[in-house]
Amino acid sequence: METNSRLQTPVALPSPPREESKGSPYATGPVTKAPAWHGLVAWDMLFNGMTTGLFLVAAISELVAPDLFTSVAKTAYPVAFVLLLVDLLCLVLDLGDPLRFHHMLRVFKPGSPMSLGTWCLTIYSLPLTVAAAISLLPGGWMTLESVRRLVVVIGLLPALGSAVYKGVLLSTNAQPGWEDARWLGGYLTNSALMLGCGEMLVLSVLMKHASAAAILRPALGLLLVLNLVPLCLLVVDLRTTLSRIYTRWELCGVGALSLGGGVLIPLFLLFVVGSLLFTLSAVMFILLGSLVIRFVIVKLPHASA
Amino acid sequence: MASREMELAALPQTSDPPRGLLSAILGRLIDPFRRGVPPEPRPPTGFFTDTTVCIGCKACEVACKAWNELPADGFHWSGNSYDNTETLSATSWRHVKFIEQFPPDNSLSRLVSEDLKPSGTGFSLDMLLNEPKEGRWLMMSDVCKHCVTAPCQQACPTGAIIHTEFDNVFIQPDICNGCSSCVAACPFGVITRSSVDGHSHKCTLCYDRQRDGLVPACAKACPTQSIQFGPIDELHERARNRVEDLHSRGVTTAYLYGDTPSKSYSQLNSFYLLVDRPSVYGLPDNPFNPWLHMKGDYVRAIVSGLTAIAALLAVLFLLGS
Repeated sequence: METNSRLQTPVALPSPPREESKGSPYATGPVTKAPAWHGLVAWDMLFNGMTTGLFLVAAISELVAPDLFTSVAKTAYPVAFVLLLVDLLCLVLDLGDPLRFHHMLRVFKPGSPMSLGTWCLTIYSLPLTVAAAISLLPGGWMTLESVRRLVVVIGLLPALGSAVYKGVLLSTNAQPGWEDARWLGGYLTNSALMLGCGEMLVLSVLMKHASAAAILRPALGLLLVLNLVPLCLLVVDLRTTLSRIYTRWELCGVGALSLGGGVLIPLFLLFVVGSLLFTLSAVMFILLGSLVIRFVIVKLPHASA
Repeated sequence: MASREMELAALPQTSDPPRGLLSAILGRLIDPFRRGVPPEPRPPTGFFTDTTVCIGCKACEVACKAWNELPADGFHWSGNSYDNTETLSATSWRHVKFIEQFPPDNSLSRLVSEDLKPSGTGFSLDMLLNEPKEGRWLMMSDVCKHCVTAPCQQACPTGAIIHTEFDNVFIQPDICNGCSSCVAACPFGVITRSSVDGHSHKCTLCYDRQRDGLVPACAKACPTQSIQFGPIDELHERARNRVEDLHSRGVTTAYLYGDTPSKSYSQLNSFYLLVDRPSVYGLPDNPFNPWLHMKGDYVRAIVSGLTAIAALLAVLFLLGS
């Protein structure tokens, strides 16, 4: 192979500056380039949490207390399936070349969170589809019920994997903010379970399963409070980036929407008021607060640029 | 060299036979899953960019665009010295940076002292060579760093980004689906997704030229040998000799960037000789491979999920019974 290894010719060298490292236009902004991930990714994060969380909560509830939760779970699986389709649509549309979506499945790279997540979602979609389909069939087929239970158990691990990968996908990269977000995966996974519990509660209330709703309501309250732990840890991770790109008033606004709207108001509505309409409103507030947080997270690299 | 290029150009040109619609659709679905025979590994190659001899001529940018048939970016004034492409992009795989380090008061009266003002016969060579240096211009031709452990390659979910037999990082254009994971992962801000075809693009280190035994276009075009190409071991030796030479000539600030691995980042197969902090050149002072965090992040995510499941189970057992 040819190399350009000619000897160096003496060249007049620049003198060292009197003061080193004077201004440079390249030193002012972030070195990295923000990927073209915008609102669709925030919605994808929300729908990912909603579908995996709903499946996990429905499956766990049904397996632990079948008498109480089977009928609600049989409605939850088709809902989770629809949410998965919406999530997949967001994922595909966000690609630069959506017609090449199937290229995601040409390799399995556990070291790549997006590859692992794609495979988890693909595997999760199979038992979910079967469970949703069987749930929609008329009852009375004991064999099919057993199959449904079996695929629900099979789907637990890939569903958890699908919930886990999303935060790690964002925290394992070089973008300002995301690179510091050690608890992003923790927050999103925890949040998925909380969202799933909220959806199950809504289904129970709409289907008039008072006994199921009576258990899910305190469960949702507990998960709401529990979710504050990874959220606070995430905010601590991001405090430098957040304080750099947002003013104090903007941070107060986001905090009010996410904590006030997404936690305190729902808690009040769930436990102090507690009627059907207020239960639905509480879950809507939780979804809104979760969406706001996801938008703030997705926008971090763009706001830093 | 020229004869080798002419020899290659004279080879018979071939193209794929036309395909029918069904065949094209099936090909689109199946072809990405086909595997060829991987080529035998060759000695790793790379770039050594000596910024002290860069004159900012942009011949490398032009040669890169010409060889790789990259479109122009549209000429515009950036307001930053002679830099009008501003950054590496999907259509600019080489980018010459200009850093003007002059005192704030850079009037001519300060730059040209009284005793150096031209006489009736004009400037003499001695006068110009002995002119006091009040500042300096740093120039650097930036490019993909072809990291030995490349975060972009680790991130790529389709396997489009590979290390070639020359240990260079290469994006297979027929595989990339534009997911942008590589864009997010690169700590040097090299890779860009094209708004035209939706795929990621960057320097290929002229993989096609290397396979034909040619030097990459930019290194071939560089008139000052600022961009040097060759086997990486040979480049390391050459670079270290150059640093020693500069130190002996009083340029004590000269050092190599990326020639050896650090605790947080691998060696770069495209490394640099710099005379100021990396950030002055738009390079990260301490590049960090985000994959070092990945296991911990997974553990935290799984623990958080399991904690939520445990809480749910606790409520179910307590109230469900």
